[in-house]
Amino acid sequence: MAANGKQVTLTEIFLTFAKIGITGFGGGMAIVALVERTCVKEKGWITSEEFLHGLAFGQILGPFSLNVCTFTGHHLRGIRGGIIAATGFILPSFLLMSLLSRLYFTYNKLPQLQAALKGTNPVIIGLILVVAIDMGRKQIKGRNGILMALAAFSATVLVKLNAAWVLLAAAVWALGVSIYRRRHT
Amino acid sequence: MPPLLTLAWIYFRIGLIFVGGGYVLIPLLNHIMVEQYKWLTLRQFLDGLALSQLTPGPLAMLATFTGFRAGGFLGGLVATVFIFIPCVMLMLIIGRNYHRLKNIDLIRTTLDGLLPAVVGLVAAAAWNLGMSSLSGVKEFIILAIGFAVFKWTMVNPMIVILGAGILGLLLN
Repeated sequence: MAANGKQVTLTEIFLTFAKIGITGFGGGMAIVALVERTCVKEKGWITSEEFLHGLAFGQILGPFSLNVCTFTGHHLRGIRGGIIAATGFILPSFLLMSLLSRLYFTYNKLPQLQAALKGTNPVIIGLILVVAIDMGRKQIKGRNGILMALAAFSATVLVKLNAAWVLLAAAVWALGVSIYRRRHT
Repeated sequence: MPPLLTLAWIYFRIGLIFVGGGYVLIPLLNHIMVEQYKWLTLRQFLDGLALSQLTPGPLAMLATFTGFRAGGFLGGLVATVFIFIPCVMLMLIIGRNYHRLKNIDLIRTTLDGLLPAVVGLVAAAAWNLGMSSLSGVKEFIILAIGFAVFKWTMVNPMIVILGAGILGLLLN
C-alpha cells in the first residue's frame, strides 16, 4: 500500500524497523520522530495524517514508540507486517538489553554508555523539534488548532499531565465540537 | 529458577495492565519482582531501570532485564515477548479497523480535531527532554547543528545519530 502502489516486502519492513530500533537512542518521541522521517518523508509509506492518527491511538494504548511501529507495519502489509515491524524494532533493544544485563549481573556495574548518549541527546531533541514543526505546519489549521496545540503543550510541560490523559481530553473536546457543528450546519 | 511458563504468564498479565500507560510499569514491576518474588534487590531494580533507558526500546525493556535475572537469556526472551503481546495485539486490532472507523464521519472529524493536541505533545516531549538533559553551551551547539541538518537536508538520521554518539564519546 505504498504511495507508488507497489507492495512493500516483509524483509524491507523488518530491516527498516530494525534500523530504527538500532539508532533510536532516546526512546519514546525519538522513535516517533525517526519513524515519521523514514516512513512518511523518505519512503512515503503512510500519509502524515494517518501516521498522526496511529500516534494518537498509540499514545493512549501504552508504549507508543512500539505502537507506532506496529501501526505503520500493519498499514503496509496487514497483521504479518505489523508483527514484523514490532519484532524488528524491539529486537536490537532486546539483544542490547540482554548483553547489558549479562554484563551487569557479572560485573555489577554500569557500562560507560552514558558518554555516548550525551552526544546523541541534543541531536534527538533537534529531530523531535523538526518533526513537531513540520507536523504543525501541515496539521494545525486555524485559531482553534493553535489553541489546542498550545493547551496540550502546556498541560504536559507545566501541569505535568500524563500524555494519555491529555489526548483523551482532546478527543472528548474534538468529539464535542464535531457534534456541535453537525447540529448547527 | 521459575519455569518459563510461569514467567510467560506473569509478564503477559503485566503487559495487559501496561496497556494503560508507560510509567505504571515501574511501581508494578517493582512490586512483583522485588517485593513479591524477590528476584532482585531494589538497587538492582533501579540499575535495571537506568539500563533500560539506555536502549531505544520503551521502558518495558525492563522486562528483559528482570526476566534475564529470573531465568537467564531465555527468561529475558520470554518476558520480553509476553509483555509486548497485549499492546501489539491491540494495535493490530485498531489498524485492522482503522479504515472502517475513518469512514464514519463523526470519528473522522474527531480524529482530525485532536491532531493539534498530538503535535503539542510531540513539542512537549522535546521541551521536557531538553529541560532534563541539556546543560552546557556545547550541548546547545550540538542541538542547533542537529536541528539544521534535519530541517534543511535529507541526510539519513541514522548516520547523524550514530555520528553524534561517537562525538559524545570523544567529548566526554
